[in-house]
Amino acid sequence: MFAHDFLEEAAQNNALLQIHPHTKLFLGLGTIFLVLFAPHFLIPFIASLVLSITIVFIAKINLKFYLSLLSIPLGFATLSVLVVILLSKGQEPIWSWQVLSWLPLSISQESLNRGLLIFFRIMGGMSALFFISLTTPMTDLFGVMKQLKVPDLFIDLSMIIYRFIFIFIKKAHDIYLAQQMRMGYSKPKEAVKSYSMLFGSIFITSWDAGEQFINAMECRCYNGKYPKNVSYNPVEWRSLTPVILFLISIIISSMLASGYQG
Amino acid sequence: MKPLIQLSNLSYAYPYAPPAIQNINQTINAGEKIAIVGSNGAGKSTLLLTLNGMLRPVDGRITFQGKPVLYDKKSLRTLRQKVGFVFQDPDVQIIAPTVWQDVAFGPVNLDYPEEKIKEVVQEALHKVGLEGFERRPPYHLSGGEKKRVAIAGVLAMDPDVLILDEPTSMLDPAGSEDIMDLLDELNQHGKTIIISTHDVELAYPWADRVILMENGRITASGTPEKAFSDRELVKRARLKTPILLELCQELAARGIKNGGKLPTTVLDIIRIIENEHHGNIRLFENGYGSIHVADVDLLSGKKAVAFMNDMRCDTVGVMGSRAKICSRQWGITPDISYAVIDKCILQAMNGKTCAIFTSKGMVSRVIERVNEFNAINNRSIPVQEISVQTPDDQ
Repeated sequence: MFAHDFLEEAAQNNALLQIHPHTKLFLGLGTIFLVLFAPHFLIPFIASLVLSITIVFIAKINLKFYLSLLSIPLGFATLSVLVVILLSKGQEPIWSWQVLSWLPLSISQESLNRGLLIFFRIMGGMSALFFISLTTPMTDLFGVMKQLKVPDLFIDLSMIIYRFIFIFIKKAHDIYLAQQMRMGYSKPKEAVKSYSMLFGSIFITSWDAGEQFINAMECRCYNGKYPKNVSYNPVEWRSLTPVILFLISIIISSMLASGYQG
Repeated sequence: MKPLIQLSNLSYAYPYAPPAIQNINQTINAGEKIAIVGSNGAGKSTLLLTLNGMLRPVDGRITFQGKPVLYDKKSLRTLRQKVGFVFQDPDVQIIAPTVWQDVAFGPVNLDYPEEKIKEVVQEALHKVGLEGFERRPPYHLSGGEKKRVAIAGVLAMDPDVLILDEPTSMLDPAGSEDIMDLLDELNQHGKTIIISTHDVELAYPWADRVILMENGRITASGTPEKAFSDRELVKRARLKTPILLELCQELAARGIKNGGKLPTTVLDIIRIIENEHHGNIRLFENGYGSIHVADVDLLSGKKAVAFMNDMRCDTVGVMGSRAKICSRQWGITPDISYAVIDKCILQAMNGKTCAIFTSKGMVSRVIERVNEFNAINNRSIPVQEISVQTPDDQ
């Protein structure tokens, strides 16, 4: 299957699929929000750890797949945090090095703390984001959008886009394979030509698909309405309670940590 | 039979092209199973698209239920609700991100109240055997499942006529048989069904009536045996004679009579050979064949398996989507899932014991059909309903 490395594919198969999307969104968005205000790096670190464990062991997302996802923000985070640690000035440097006359590098306790805090805020936020996208498929989010009174036009358009993304990716994938089988990307010049052909035929395909789409809708008495499914399994205390406890413990530990520092 | 759709003098041409169909005169009756058979480009799809008003004929007239078809928006909506169209490629037809939303598309646009939408969607998914698939996205489904979603989306609007363009062209043989069995079942429930195909082997045993098309014209229309009998016509339409009919023709050429009825199934061929043989042909060591029919809603998995072991069933046939779901749940692998009655009679004639699992209304139909066969062919294949009080009940 062409979609095996999609986030959406993982989400459609995750073990928390039946949990009400509100519960999952509450956990994900709540964590992102709280992690941004956490005063000490340990708090986002633990939050990120807990969410990762939830993703891998409770939602049963493949560990390798999840780690490969995490490595994307990891690269960004490491680079930017290194800059913060090395360039921001602190009172007592632990280590310093004058590379060039205008470029002093130093590490101090404060810059280290700040860097770690930023690093784990990024990782905490990202694992919360991954939690949402790995446990709540788009198809559920459309219903949530409807409940949040997002304009119908916007939801309808995003649903149609969602439907077509998979058709086009499959099409592009097929064409790409067909080109490769006939040595399409063997030389750089060849590759440019093949890519242009690929995009050309995708354009024609999408034009065609649009026309067929209108026909299909006409055939089924289209009258400007697009059905939306907003029925989910009920919100369960069994799943909501740990979420609330988790978020409250982040708030309390944040308050304790800022009290301790202040 | 009541005429449902009448086509007179119908012609259609795509812009800048020779006419795709011309001079079509045909009456389609309520409750018929029609296969329109023709080669690529014979005009099958064009003809089908005129039937629900997607194409407006340049010439000629279509009447539906006695009234001429009008092409204003409101009349078209009514027409398309009554005449459901299933496209060849389900990816074209499935337009919503989940199965439930797609099946609900028609009912929502027909302004059904919310409760009714839920009800008809549930029922349509039940009919095609896709309960529990509501929240799946379409790219997650197999070809056969997609086709079923497409059919359910049309069924949800409760049409009188179901038109399917090449329903099995993208399916594997088992998937095709399942779809054809589903179409049989829908026809039993009173839907008129029209399919187009170039698969003669598929159309031949299935259809009540075959319409042969060649170059935009209808060249023959009648029972499958009659429509395919004219070899010259079949060859000109770039088709081939169904293998059973060819076999019968070859037997006839060798002086073996067909008893006045051309064969449409293997069962008919066996009968012709038996007549020639003046008696039954069956293996000596086989027992005395019988057919048992069971209603899956009155059984449980344990009882069904126990019964099969008890009776030493050689062949298990499963008929209808409801029965197929149950047998899957019970872990019963059916030997026969299409044209079940005829194939079971065939097995019973060879001394095998058959069990047929089916749903409520079909039990009496099976018994009727077997008794009818017995009466015509002077046989006595015993057929009985498996009673709820099976021996393992005590």
